[in-house]
Amino acid sequence: MVSRELVQGVYWVGALDFDRRLFDELIPLPEGTSYNSYLIRGSEKTALIDTVDPKKEEELIVNLIKLGIEQIDYIIINHAEQDHAGSLPMVLEMYPRAKVVTNEKCRDLLVALLQIDPGSVMVVKDGDTLSLGDRTLKFLLTPWTHWPETQLTFLVEDRILFPCDLFGFHQATSELYITDEAGAYRSAKRYYAEIMMPFRNSIKGYIQRVRDLNPAMIAPSHGPINKNPKFMLDAYEDWVSDNVKNVVVLPYVSMHGSTQKLVDHLVGALIERGVMVQPFNLTQTDIGELAFSLVDAATVVIGTPTVLFGPHPQVVSATYLANALKPKVRFASVIGSFGWGGKAAETLVKMLDHVKVEVLEPVVIKGLPDEAAILAINRLADEIAKKHKEIGIL
Amino acid sequence: MDKYVCTICGHVYDPEKGEPRLDLAPGKDFTDLPDDWQCPVCFAEKNKFVKV
Repeated sequence: MVSRELVQGVYWVGALDFDRRLFDELIPLPEGTSYNSYLIRGSEKTALIDTVDPKKEEELIVNLIKLGIEQIDYIIINHAEQDHAGSLPMVLEMYPRAKVVTNEKCRDLLVALLQIDPGSVMVVKDGDTLSLGDRTLKFLLTPWTHWPETQLTFLVEDRILFPCDLFGFHQATSELYITDEAGAYRSAKRYYAEIMMPFRNSIKGYIQRVRDLNPAMIAPSHGPINKNPKFMLDAYEDWVSDNVKNVVVLPYVSMHGSTQKLVDHLVGALIERGVMVQPFNLTQTDIGELAFSLVDAATVVIGTPTVLFGPHPQVVSATYLANALKPKVRFASVIGSFGWGGKAAETLVKMLDHVKVEVLEPVVIKGLPDEAAILAINRLADEIAKKHKEIGIL
Repeated sequence: MDKYVCTICGHVYDPEKGEPRLDLAPGKDFTDLPDDWQCPVCFAEKNKFVKV
């Protein structure tokens, strides 16, 4: 479609995907996405950093042809996932003399996922550098910032960091750079929630390393380029910290209205006690928004009716996802209802094995909520407010 | 002998059970596993495990 110059000799040559609405067949993409690939011309050698999703591989190739790139010496692969490495076979076909440059784990994944010839790969270790003549690339191995093979590449002279998925976000925009930091903060937090949150503790260890590089720009693999790295590094530092906020996230489903009444009452009771609350009716929830809210909430309360003898399957699905994303939530509970019996609360609590939560007494009632049920909800709200006070957030 | 949990994927190494996926018999202490031992579920390095 188009290539754009960041600084003299460094180009964005990726693809914008305005129409994509779902990632991993799971997460909605309200703003589309982009697959950013970058070309760096040194005085001696030319390097390409990451590729694009294979459905856009022609755009990448056309961008390179339009720039008059006759030879690529190195193709740096920071991450083996197909939306970044997937066009590697095509690029290698076009530029057969190019060497793939990546770490050992990534090489093995490229062989497994894309059937790349391992002989075409030059393996680098943490801290290694690669000269392009008047420009130098430095590689930082940062395993488990999403996948086991994830690495960052730093263009030393221009101080541009290419961190692949880390610090990026899903957005297709004609802007090359972030122009709206408030919007970028929100989109990046959502991306962090969906992709990076399970690796919070690994990322914690890399932030200072990135700060020490003092990057002038962060050029990620999704979304616009960031000319104010401090803004994103500060945001990440907050998200990966152990600090939680005075917020209850309340995902729920109600079939015949009983659970809805409990939810409505709990929402009011929490607000009365000064606790912020974000209810999500799962039948109409964008799960990316649910993930977003889990980044720094202190408490999650799951609301479910009983289907046959257990929780509603849509609640099970959301609980499974929330548990897999490993948010830093401290407290959890379940509210819900049943007609004749079942083990909805026990089933959901057992699913929360990846999060370190203190479980507050669930409130699961028979039939339509009566006065006793409302009092039980008030007690749960009291307990949540008490816990939030104990950890100093209320 | 202590159990160790993988901080990446949550898999628990239980020395009393061993690792059937790796043909590792019960009875081996986590600290006696080789340094290049990896999580049988996500292949994280041994140093990503912490004592339960």
